[in-house]
Amino acid sequence: MSVAANTAHVRPLTHGQRVFRWRLAFLAAVVLLLELYGWYGADPTAWVPVSKIMHSLYKDVLSDSKIVTALGWCVMQITVAYVLSIIFGVLIGLAAGSTNFNRRTLFPIILILYVIPQVSFLPLLVLSFGLGSAAKIAFGFSHAVFPIIINVVSGMRSVRELHLNAARSMGASRFDTIRHVILPHMVPSLFNGLRLGMTLNLLGVILAELYVSTSGVGYYTKLFAEDFNPGPLFALIGSLAFIAIVFNELVRIAEHRLTPGKHKQTAIKTKKAEQP
Amino acid sequence: MSAPDANNDVAISVRNITQRFGEAGSPDEVLALDDVSLDIKRGEFVCLLGPSGCGKSTILNIVGGLFKPTQGTATVAGRLVEGAPHPDQIAFVFQESTLLPWYTVIENFRIALKFRGMNKAEWDDRAMAALRAVGMASFARHYPDQLSVGMRQRVNMARGLCVETPILLMDEPFAALDEQTRMVLGEDLSQLLAARQKTIVFVTHSLAEAVFLSDRIFVMTARPGKIKTIIDVNESHPRSPDFMLEPRFSELRNECYALLRDEIRRTVAAQRDPQPAGT
Repeated sequence: MSVAANTAHVRPLTHGQRVFRWRLAFLAAVVLLLELYGWYGADPTAWVPVSKIMHSLYKDVLSDSKIVTALGWCVMQITVAYVLSIIFGVLIGLAAGSTNFNRRTLFPIILILYVIPQVSFLPLLVLSFGLGSAAKIAFGFSHAVFPIIINVVSGMRSVRELHLNAARSMGASRFDTIRHVILPHMVPSLFNGLRLGMTLNLLGVILAELYVSTSGVGYYTKLFAEDFNPGPLFALIGSLAFIAIVFNELVRIAEHRLTPGKHKQTAIKTKKAEQP
Repeated sequence: MSAPDANNDVAISVRNITQRFGEAGSPDEVLALDDVSLDIKRGEFVCLLGPSGCGKSTILNIVGGLFKPTQGTATVAGRLVEGAPHPDQIAFVFQESTLLPWYTVIENFRIALKFRGMNKAEWDDRAMAALRAVGMASFARHYPDQLSVGMRQRVNMARGLCVETPILLMDEPFAALDEQTRMVLGEDLSQLLAARQKTIVFVTHSLAEAVFLSDRIFVMTARPGKIKTIIDVNESHPRSPDFMLEPRFSELRNECYALLRDEIRRTVAAQRDPQPAGT
């Protein structure tokens, strides 16, 4: 490492650094084009320059306590819906994937429920859960829970026969096998489900927000759109996008930290000093 | 618990085992083993040699208690094996490394010892001793993916040894390796076993491996598998690579090949399309 540090100033950029710089350059170019378009080409009721949107973010969105509260509620709804989805998704997934019989009985039903376009149920959901948070949580939950279930089931299914046989021949109990073979095996698949679940959860909550809301983010979105006021509208949408990015990143970080075989250092305790 | 007629010299006894796979009466039904009986003595190294699909691994899996045979019985150390493993008696080494990829080498040893109910305080001592024996102690903290195939199989072998069961079942443990690595590992195995009084059943396709390692070679027929002949190899362990250069080694190897050739042809013929009559 010291050799590398000494020659750092002449070292060419690593592949990762080059990729990162090009990505930044691309984003800057897009922002610049949008800015120019806002100044010279766009209908001011539909699009305004990026700089004006940033200004609106301060002036109309972040300094309006009602909107900030609405965004807070939105974060709360996403979180609650997601936690519920994980709990139920994993439990149902484990139950459905635990035996061949369960899987063959339940899995087709789950798949059918998953492909139903849930938007068609949204009015019904609002009727039963009301205009408040409950409907949004329910809609986020019903979107997120299915990909989690499905990935848990398929994660359990792809456990290698060889590993199961090896564990059995070593005298592993059913619990040992689940704890050391099946669960670690399904972690990558589980996280696939969690990532997809988060995307759909955000979709569900925000869709419900837009569809019916008397004081939430959806209400303000509609308000700004109907006022032909793109500055605060895009500032608000940008805030939602930011929230979505943060949630997705949290899932990604959790995946990186919790996937077994990535992070731990193994300590070895032997009684005698190691001698060859 | 031992049966009244248990012979103390016999470690593994297989009586009249018949194994069918697939639904009875259906066209998929396969007769894998047909009335196989064999006895393996304590401390003996036995190879099961035969063409692919002859049921070598099936015998091993039945003895290891991974499943129950259609008919017949297997007895290990005087106890009947009825589709349940005896982890206190038997350790398995499989063809592919069965190290769990999400655990480091040392963690893989720990769970193997944990599954067998060993005392936690002994886990690391035993694991490191076994790793040292195969020269892999410095890789204890590595993940299996970070090791070469040969190193992985070496670790896998060490894990089979570290539990110190009297019987070791090895299902083509070197099949995935290149020939050179395979020879070195074979020598290592011979060295390791000379120090321990273990009973080994070793399944292989390789004639040279069978002759080099075994005390007795059970040559099997093509499917349905039966024991065709038993060949004795009178050579003490540990065996040196020089043994492979002796004329006796080639003779035994050729003898095995002569016995196997017809069986291999039968196996290959069975895998081909049916030939039209008169060709």
